[in-house]
Amino acid sequence: MTIVAEPALTILPADGGASRSLTLVDLLLLEQQDLTAVERFAQQHEADVLPLQARYYSTLLPAAPPGPDEQYAFEVDLDACSGCKACVVACNSLNGLDETETWRDVGLLSGGNDQQPFLQHVTAACHHCLDPACLNVCPVRAYEKDDLTGIVRHLDDQCIGCQYCILACPYDVPKYNSARGIVRKCDMCSNRLAVKEAPACVQSCPNAAIRITTISRQAVAEDCETGSFLPTAPDPRYTQPTTHYKTNRVFPRNALPADYLSVHPEHAHWPLIAMLVLTQLSVGAFVVAFVAQLFDPQRGLHAIHSIHAGAALLFGMIALGSSTLHLGRPHLAFRAVLGLRSSWLSREIVAFGAFAALATLYSGSIWTSAAVEIAHSWRMLLGGGVVVSGLAGALCSIMIYQCTRRPLWNGPATTSRFLLTTALLGISTAIATTVAATALTPDDSHEAGAPFVEWLFTGLLAACGLKLASEAALFRHLWTKQHTPLKRSALLLTGDLAYAAKWRFALGLVGGIVLPALWLARGRQAVATDAISLTIAALQFGLLLGGELLERYLFFTSVVAPRMPGGLRS
Amino acid sequence: MKLYEREGKLTRELLLTPGGFGLGKVPNRDRPDATTTMTCGYCSTGCGLNVHLKKGAAVGLTPATEYPVNLGMACPKGWEALEVLKATDRATTPLLKNEHGKLVPVDWPTALKFFVARFRAIQAEYGDEAVAFLSTGQIVTEEMAFLGALAKFVMGMVHGDGNTRQCMATAVTAYKQSFGFDAPPYTYADFEESDVMVFVGSNLCVAHPILWERVLRNPHSPRIVVVDPRTTEMAMQATDHFAIRPKSDLVFFYGLARLLIECDWIDHDWVAAHTDGFEEFAAFVAQFTPAHVAAATGIAAERLWELARMIHAGRRVSFWWTMGVNQSYEGTRTAQSLINLALMTGNIGRPGTGANSITGQCNAMGSRLFSNTTSLLGGRDFEKPQDRADVAGILGIDERRIPDQNSWAYPEIISGILKGKIKGLWVIATNPAHSWINQSQLHEILDRLEFLVVQDMYHSTETAQRADLVLPAAGWGEKEGTFINSERRWGLTKKVARAPGLALADFSIFKLIAEAWGVGEMFREWDSPESVFQILKRLSKGRPCDITGIRDYQMLDDRGGIQWPFPAGGTAAVDSSSAARTGTHRRLFETGEFYHADGRAKFLFENPRPMPEPPSPAFPLLLLTGRGTAAQWHTQTRTRKSAVLRKLSPQNVYVEINPADARELGIGQNEPVIVQSQRGSLTARAYVTPVVAAGQVFIPMHYETVNQLTDAVFDPYSRQPSYKACAVCVRRAGTPA
Repeated sequence: MTIVAEPALTILPADGGASRSLTLVDLLLLEQQDLTAVERFAQQHEADVLPLQARYYSTLLPAAPPGPDEQYAFEVDLDACSGCKACVVACNSLNGLDETETWRDVGLLSGGNDQQPFLQHVTAACHHCLDPACLNVCPVRAYEKDDLTGIVRHLDDQCIGCQYCILACPYDVPKYNSARGIVRKCDMCSNRLAVKEAPACVQSCPNAAIRITTISRQAVAEDCETGSFLPTAPDPRYTQPTTHYKTNRVFPRNALPADYLSVHPEHAHWPLIAMLVLTQLSVGAFVVAFVAQLFDPQRGLHAIHSIHAGAALLFGMIALGSSTLHLGRPHLAFRAVLGLRSSWLSREIVAFGAFAALATLYSGSIWTSAAVEIAHSWRMLLGGGVVVSGLAGALCSIMIYQCTRRPLWNGPATTSRFLLTTALLGISTAIATTVAATALTPDDSHEAGAPFVEWLFTGLLAACGLKLASEAALFRHLWTKQHTPLKRSALLLTGDLAYAAKWRFALGLVGGIVLPALWLARGRQAVATDAISLTIAALQFGLLLGGELLERYLFFTSVVAPRMPGGLRS
Repeated sequence: MKLYEREGKLTRELLLTPGGFGLGKVPNRDRPDATTTMTCGYCSTGCGLNVHLKKGAAVGLTPATEYPVNLGMACPKGWEALEVLKATDRATTPLLKNEHGKLVPVDWPTALKFFVARFRAIQAEYGDEAVAFLSTGQIVTEEMAFLGALAKFVMGMVHGDGNTRQCMATAVTAYKQSFGFDAPPYTYADFEESDVMVFVGSNLCVAHPILWERVLRNPHSPRIVVVDPRTTEMAMQATDHFAIRPKSDLVFFYGLARLLIECDWIDHDWVAAHTDGFEEFAAFVAQFTPAHVAAATGIAAERLWELARMIHAGRRVSFWWTMGVNQSYEGTRTAQSLINLALMTGNIGRPGTGANSITGQCNAMGSRLFSNTTSLLGGRDFEKPQDRADVAGILGIDERRIPDQNSWAYPEIISGILKGKIKGLWVIATNPAHSWINQSQLHEILDRLEFLVVQDMYHSTETAQRADLVLPAAGWGEKEGTFINSERRWGLTKKVARAPGLALADFSIFKLIAEAWGVGEMFREWDSPESVFQILKRLSKGRPCDITGIRDYQMLDDRGGIQWPFPAGGTAAVDSSSAARTGTHRRLFETGEFYHADGRAKFLFENPRPMPEPPSPAFPLLLLTGRGTAAQWHTQTRTRKSAVLRKLSPQNVYVEINPADARELGIGQNEPVIVQSQRGSLTARAYVTPVVAAGQVFIPMHYETVNQLTDAVFDPYSRQPSYKACAVCVRRAGTPA
């Protein structure tokens, strides 16, 4: 671009005299910032107190409050929904939600054939279930279901941000608000309903496709039993959703959500990964130590126990520390005691709390055994307490995931995963600590430790083999013809998550199979403290810990979360 | 640190409170101290939005309950209209390209100096005509008129056109030729009063959700006929869907006309009294036998008969079309084939009837009447001396300042750049680098310009990124003025938000440029948008679009917008019972009087032509383009700025492909594929669905890359680009071509 000489240009103030110092640019910029709508135009409806929109929505609300055995519910006329999604935006706007926060979503079902293609948008918010999973699992009782209206309300101030409800809700309803460290969700605009005003979505639908009705809880329960809710939506028998989807159309049998075949990794939850793997390591390590003590009344392995207990306790504490990082509001974690009667998360927190206390005492008793004499039986009792509380905590962890009814997290699979991790890392830690402790102590204990280490490696080989095999068994779903959730998980492991999956198996194989085999192949000798042995001992621990962390990463990311039909993803 | 806290700070954050002003509950923190209604700035539906104000500034909005257009509803774009003003990529200062090719901030005086100096230098070297402008359907009418007058009567430009060329030109031309004036005859109440509605190439559910709302309010259980190659949302909602082959519309409607004539289902008296050319038309369509139609369109003869019977049986039949008709190489004749059907069956000028174009942008109609681009102010003709004299007289300017030749249309301006005839271009509130057809070629063409000025709200548009000078504009809601919607309704927009930084209303920018060009004196009367509105009234006097009966902005505000014509002393203007909803709806041609000199409407027709680029062995599929979702607007310059709207549509380009084609090509659901035409290629995700017929694929126009594929062919009369049909091939990504 060539720049020509500046042309002569004077911009004079528009009003000449009054503001001689201001140029036209200045004046216009000032004028631009002056908002004029109010002063220029008469106000309409200044005196109106009642909502004018009522003329459109009054027929979309129930005439009377729910009777006994009744509650409010959304009713969606699918035939009237044309997919404009005004409901989503109006909900965001009229409820003052954050910019990216949406409590309602619109999905798309499509299918049919060339002669009769099929397209159906589906709007969905909270279904205000009869048996809400969010409420059932909440460790701090931050959900309540209103007796009269049946609205499932979330108590924002009570929430500690554990997000367990998000894992439990099959409809992806509760949404985590990271800025506030809590979950928030649709409450059917209960404050509006209380004054006979329609919820935002009802008010805003140009086609009057959403209304509030009173439904018979009994009837909903019966409908749910027969599985009738919405084709392709998660099984209603789990939480008994109350939203009624009505249509006069016949859905083609091949109608599927637009996002049905797109698989996306779920959230990884790193603090939970660390918490699960390390609590299991810690529990496993204490179990191994306890069993070893049972078979070592002469306390020949005492030196080992001391280091081992230290390691086990250290990892246990890191685990509990990292678990608080998962909470949006960790300083309120104490509220979890409120959920003991119903929430496995509460139970887990309490069990691991007891475990931490007992493990500290137990370890302390080992470290101070030279100075403070306590009876072996008392220590064994304490050790038993550590083992029981630890295993109870691990059991609670299993139940937490099993309860979500996600197929990848089913009971047997999660049990085998978590218990084998417990065994694997417990043994692995024991190997590392034993070899380390041996290297640090006089030669006479080397002989005593040898069979113990060999026994540990044998156990490690078995546990790791079993674990890798059971994890790899998921890949058999790649060959199933149906697009089952487990097949999606397998597809994720071979697709988006393939890199992590490769490393997971590599680390497991080397750390849990190759290295143990190498050790055992060297024969039954004293616990050698040469460089190779030390390397093997350290390496197997590092590799297996890394492998298990990756395994847990894949556990979270490759799970398929049930949800309402979604829109097209691209 | 309570153990159990039912309500506290976090609960209060979502507290709702009665909003007053007839609003119902609103978020507590956004409780307004005043409200005001204004017209939405996205599409031509022209909804009324009730803006909630606190100390004069907008804090929220809800659809206006009583506005006669939208009746208390809005689509997602409207609900989010204020959010997009807060985007971080707003242009907040003029930007000038430095010697390293980088846009750097400058102040207004510097920007204006360069604007004037560069354009003057180009005009000195190549002639006045070497500078042109491309405008928009998105700014207010007063600004369009200011721009048109400034560019053409002062700066010596001859060529200037709007992006309305891409959406409305066909309807404009069709109406002008058939009726004698660009005059959509209907009112939205017609949606509620028809008993048969024929929608052609129109997906209201997605493109105009609020008009679909009006259709659903129709109490007459209407037949809703959708003619569209795709099974759109609209087709799903229809009572009858005719999935004709793409671009077989003309044959289809000529064939339909033939059946109506054959059965003598014609309103002969009306045709004789008010139209010209029916006999010729009847003779012409005789060749379009049902068998011929079936072969060309894929619609069986029996179904065509069914439609003919339906139209005959209907007492109030209306025909509606949108971009499926307009964006075609024979769009004008297709629109007229619908006009012909309305004329011959007497379905015009009565409630629930008409041949009705549903337009695109919020001020497409304003642009048609007052942008001074391809027609002279007030829907006049640059080539008519009388029209030039009239305008010169009204504006008090020298008649010789008015060009006596018509402007080039958009495609000619683009090819003018290619041929080196246009060297400087001023682009206002539009994004051709995304939206124009055959994009790669356009990018090369834009690079040939010596000076490109882009005036926009955002510095990030594909076009602004190529500019030599960017002028920061205030957007909708940050300025005042009027829009004219599809049903000819003038609506008001107001200033309820502060523009960021140094951004100025387009109106103020034009004022500054007038001063900088040294002609500020000429525009002394053009002081404010409302004073220009008074000028527009004078320009409309005695024209079909006469609005001399509208007193001022306050009257527009009081009446919820006013449809043209509204002449002073006319019955509508003196009717004081304006509050009555019925009084706010008026349609044209109730007396059968049209705007041609003889007062008659014309039957216009022409032999259908083959598709310019039919599928071939190398490019076996036909690419259709169109609107994706109700949450996306055009090139997404604005809608992409709302976090909520972004969640409502796929963020990356996808292509709809029929299961049979996908199977044959080995393409699975959601797999990345390459779509290629003779002009370019793009990578997209496959969405395998039977809503698009075998042999066709569909890509929404909102994704930038789509126009790398499209073919620059135009309707010969309207010069509107034919976006919706070009040949492509599709293959899995990673496989060789």
